[in-house]
Amino acid sequence: MVICITLSKYLFYFSIFDYQICKNLKHLYLTSKRMKSKFLALLGSAVLSAGVANAGGFQANLQGQKQIGMGHVGTGLALDQSSIFFNPGALAHLRQNGIQLGVSALNAKIAYREPAGGISEAFTDNPLSTPFQVYASFGKEESPLRFGIGVYTPYGSSVNWGDQWQGRFGLNELTLQAIYIQPTVSYRISDKLGFGAGLIYSIGSVNLQRSIPLQDANYAESGIELDGGASGFGYNLGVYFQPTEKLSLGLTYRSKVEMEVKEGDVTFMLPTSPVVAGQFQATQFDAKLPLPANITLGIGFKPTEDLTIGVDVQRVQWSAYKSLRFDYNAGIRGEMFTESPRNYEDVFIYRVGAQYKVSDILTVRAGAYYDNSPVQAGYLTPETPDADSRGVSAGLTLALSEKIDLDASFLYINKKERTDDASKSGGVAGTYKSVAYIPGVGINYKF
Amino acid sequence: MKNIFYRLGAAALLSSVFLFSGCEPEFEEDITVSRGPLDLSKYVAVGNSLTAGFQDNGLYLEGQVYSYPNILANQFSFVGGGPFTQPLFTNEQRNGSGYIRLTGFSSTGLPTTENVTTNLAVTGMGADGKTPLLTKFTGEVQNLGIPGIRMKDVVTPGYGFNNPLGFNPYYQRLLPNEATPAGGLLPYVNKVASVKGTFFTMWLGNNDVLGFATSGGLSPITTDTEFQSALDAMMAVLPAQGVVINIPDVTSVPFFTTKATALLMSQAQAANAKLYITTGAGAVREAKATDFVLLTSTVGTPEALPGVPQPVPHGFSPFNPLRNQEVLDETETAAVKAATQNFNTKLSAAATAKKVAYADMNAYFNTIKQGFTLNNIAYSPAFVTGNLFSLDGVHLTPRGYAIVANNLISTINSYYKANVPTIDVTQFRAVLIP
Repeated sequence: MVICITLSKYLFYFSIFDYQICKNLKHLYLTSKRMKSKFLALLGSAVLSAGVANAGGFQANLQGQKQIGMGHVGTGLALDQSSIFFNPGALAHLRQNGIQLGVSALNAKIAYREPAGGISEAFTDNPLSTPFQVYASFGKEESPLRFGIGVYTPYGSSVNWGDQWQGRFGLNELTLQAIYIQPTVSYRISDKLGFGAGLIYSIGSVNLQRSIPLQDANYAESGIELDGGASGFGYNLGVYFQPTEKLSLGLTYRSKVEMEVKEGDVTFMLPTSPVVAGQFQATQFDAKLPLPANITLGIGFKPTEDLTIGVDVQRVQWSAYKSLRFDYNAGIRGEMFTESPRNYEDVFIYRVGAQYKVSDILTVRAGAYYDNSPVQAGYLTPETPDADSRGVSAGLTLALSEKIDLDASFLYINKKERTDDASKSGGVAGTYKSVAYIPGVGINYKF
Repeated sequence: MKNIFYRLGAAALLSSVFLFSGCEPEFEEDITVSRGPLDLSKYVAVGNSLTAGFQDNGLYLEGQVYSYPNILANQFSFVGGGPFTQPLFTNEQRNGSGYIRLTGFSSTGLPTTENVTTNLAVTGMGADGKTPLLTKFTGEVQNLGIPGIRMKDVVTPGYGFNNPLGFNPYYQRLLPNEATPAGGLLPYVNKVASVKGTFFTMWLGNNDVLGFATSGGLSPITTDTEFQSALDAMMAVLPAQGVVINIPDVTSVPFFTTKATALLMSQAQAANAKLYITTGAGAVREAKATDFVLLTSTVGTPEALPGVPQPVPHGFSPFNPLRNQEVLDETETAAVKAATQNFNTKLSAAATAKKVAYADMNAYFNTIKQGFTLNNIAYSPAFVTGNLFSLDGVHLTPRGYAIVANNLISTINSYYKANVPTIDVTQFRAVLIP
């Protein structure tokens, strides 16, 4: 029952149901040995690496070391030069000018487990990311007018799942960076009331890599990398109201910044066959990514001279993030663009924190927040495997001299475990769990 | 006051423990796996080329390693499954029977292939003068997948004995040479019985119809009586727990669908001609969309015809019709479908009678016809690009076999109330593209 049929010009010997060997086989004499299965090598499911933004979506709430130590409250307080971010209206209520530099070491880890039935797990191996903040204010001591400039990083994400995990055709790694540069004016109308406004110019970059399910003759998997710079504009408005010595209120609005990538680079790693190359012709891409607007109401309360309590309620208008779309200059498998729905929801973040001045040298802080996830069911993605998150923090300030303060903070974030079928986002179905440890330090120089 | 400090200290300690233990993200629940009532200490796989790991028109080491029984055994090991022995070719003879490899694409985008002829496990020519012999593997074997075996062959003495009338070399390599009933003449059922397994999978019967189908109707379909009696003999020796797997619709595979008849007919029409075939009855007629032109057909190759100055594409003239073995005509197709359904009824009844699980692979292969997406990868029965079928258009890729293994695990879990884990199919290859 051996059937050998020649397929057109090629010596394509075909025998399907019987011995499958045709005459062209050479005779070899060799000994037989059992070979140990290579199979087990497959098992240790991909052990991988990653980091992620520490708030909902890809927002990074790390804009002042004192505020981080108290749950990132600050809108209703006039603590230091970081008011340029937290509430430009409070800047003019600061007694001194100063410059502040701070940096955090964001160490986030995400675990992934494939949907029920399988047991593959993966862990991100994210590079340590370092959100930073620099603020400086200027103005005459008696003048009601203050000028300031802030450079800070309110959005960003760095997630690296590697190129072995089960979801690699969704994502290998994503790095998103946005640096806001915000010149600011603040005006103190009275001892009780101040206004402020800042113009935001944002520069950033995006780098996204994912695997393509095509393997070459050496088993190397294909991939695509999108890499581009981005920029955008926005503004930051704030009002600060201090009716009594013990009570202060703040309200701010930070506008949406639409980050636009123009002519970013598209790079493919593919099998060399021309038929394949013909399918992947794009070399450049355009994209837009909205960094959402925020409205924050903050209250500060000073029951005693040494104790300050703050509460913030923050509304993040994530609904601006409808979809992630890349437009290409040439076709990828015949498509001129790819678009994945995101349909984020607006969310509230609730924050509470306190600081206590132990002595002239030492001030200690603690705080917590609860951050609802903007990602709806069915829309989870491996780039931001988001869930409702809980943050607890502590911090301190050491006053080294009249002019120099040192701040330190530590924030721990624990996101709820979340299982999603990712059916609407084209993401990767499964269960995700994220935690992050974020120590930070800052230095203040007052003049 | 002292009390308060104690409490604060304790709280600090507790919270630091909390922070420390939270250093790595951890899931609330551990993964649970269980074998339920199954005894998986000795799994035996019974079947044909699909069970052996045949792919790319050959049996070779890579295909053996990624056979669905080996994947199942691997997953069973998470729930107390025992060791699993396959008749693997050695690394030196890793190309086994030889196979075909994709070398590129023609100017029209059609795949081009070449035969792999090095590092084979062929040791000589059989007594029939046409069947190459393969390196022996005479120890106990739990993957008894024998490429080419039909259900009706399982009771035939001498089916694996090197003799002038022909034999199966894949079975021959598992048997001793002596012409004794318990040696070289041992029927396949007895070989299965000798393993004394505790759990089985049986995927037999494909070749009883597939042979007819892939030969364009030349090789006969097994009769009902032959099938039933062989099936009964096999069921009698199988372990008490296991899965009977039924026969997929063979016309759902790329071997039958790649050279789509309707498309060929329209190409002929565009050339101001018609497509002609030779039916099983020997008659020449115009092709119908319900006929299947086989992957191996040379349809469209220009051929010289006597008395015609220009070469005519093969099949585009009643004087040069597609040969009988290049086409499964609609009558033959109906016979294949009827036989498949008939055999599946018998397989289902046998599974019910033995109180074992029944995997409806026929239904599963029908569901994948429309294509599906898994792990952001598109799958379909398309040749080369569909990720499921290997270069022979009938057998699966390693990833296709892994998907079948996961499907069987679901069947096993649901029938036996077990919780055997599935495998990450993305770790297996599809067709390699040069």
